[in-house]
Amino acid sequence: MSKKREKQTDSDLVREVKQGDPAAMEEIVKRYSNKVYNLAYHLTRDAHAAEEIMQDVFLTVIAKIGTLTTEAYFSTWLYRVTTNAAYGYLRKEKKFSEQTPVEDIDQEQFLEYDWTNLPDDVLLSEESKEVLRRSIDSLPEAMRTVVVLKDVEGLKNEEIAETLGISVPAVKSRLHRGRLILRQLLSEYFSKYTEPSKEKE
Amino acid sequence: MNCKLCSALFQEFLDNSLSEELIVEVQNHVRACSKCRVSLRTYTVTVTLSRKVDPPCCVSRETLDRLRKIIRENFSKSRGAVV
Repeated sequence: MSKKREKQTDSDLVREVKQGDPAAMEEIVKRYSNKVYNLAYHLTRDAHAAEEIMQDVFLTVIAKIGTLTTEAYFSTWLYRVTTNAAYGYLRKEKKFSEQTPVEDIDQEQFLEYDWTNLPDDVLLSEESKEVLRRSIDSLPEAMRTVVVLKDVEGLKNEEIAETLGISVPAVKSRLHRGRLILRQLLSEYFSKYTEPSKEKE
Repeated sequence: MNCKLCSALFQEFLDNSLSEELIVEVQNHVRACSKCRVSLRTYTVTVTLSRKVDPPCCVSRETLDRLRKIIRENFSKSRGAVV
């Protein structure tokens, strides 16, 4: 792949793909395959499904790129296609985790536990990672998608809003509530290692 | 600043998108309030752990080669060219 291709913007590449340039399509695959795969994997937790979704997503790009009217929004359009494909897979396979009812979240209950000073081998143990994975998977779909896009994939709030077709305040609200739920579930789990905080005002 | 407002600003605080004035207000509040101090710490580490739980990985060379082949074939077909 030439240096010229690597320096091209997404908008340039999308225009060239629309004109039928296969090398531009190759550059898009090169640029986005890992991102599409990771997002699909983090939503499905299934490496094989993530590979299939990645393939379907790029085939959708070929079939539908002509409908993309604003070339600059290519990446967010791609994330939207990926998210829809991942949830389509989960629905088809009936692989949704049991969701944590938002109303059951009691933010006050565990606030006295400061588990952040636990050693890394506890915070990042396989067991605690599994608790966090299950917790993320148990979030209601709208919150889970925002948490994965922001905290796992590292997208900006504006990109998430564009990807999901919602406002930035809605992104922030879902993200904050999602994080509070995760924080509570982690606090419940880590409370077995910690005493209530002795800190005084 | 009260505890409710302080907690509502955690997200912007972590994103570094608060004004200087509000940053100082949040910092002063968590310094004085042990509950919010613990709350901010656990909120922050929850975000950090979410980033670390499944770090991004790369698609294998074999998978990528297979994908490229499929894309090349389908791209040619969709444009009506000879494969």
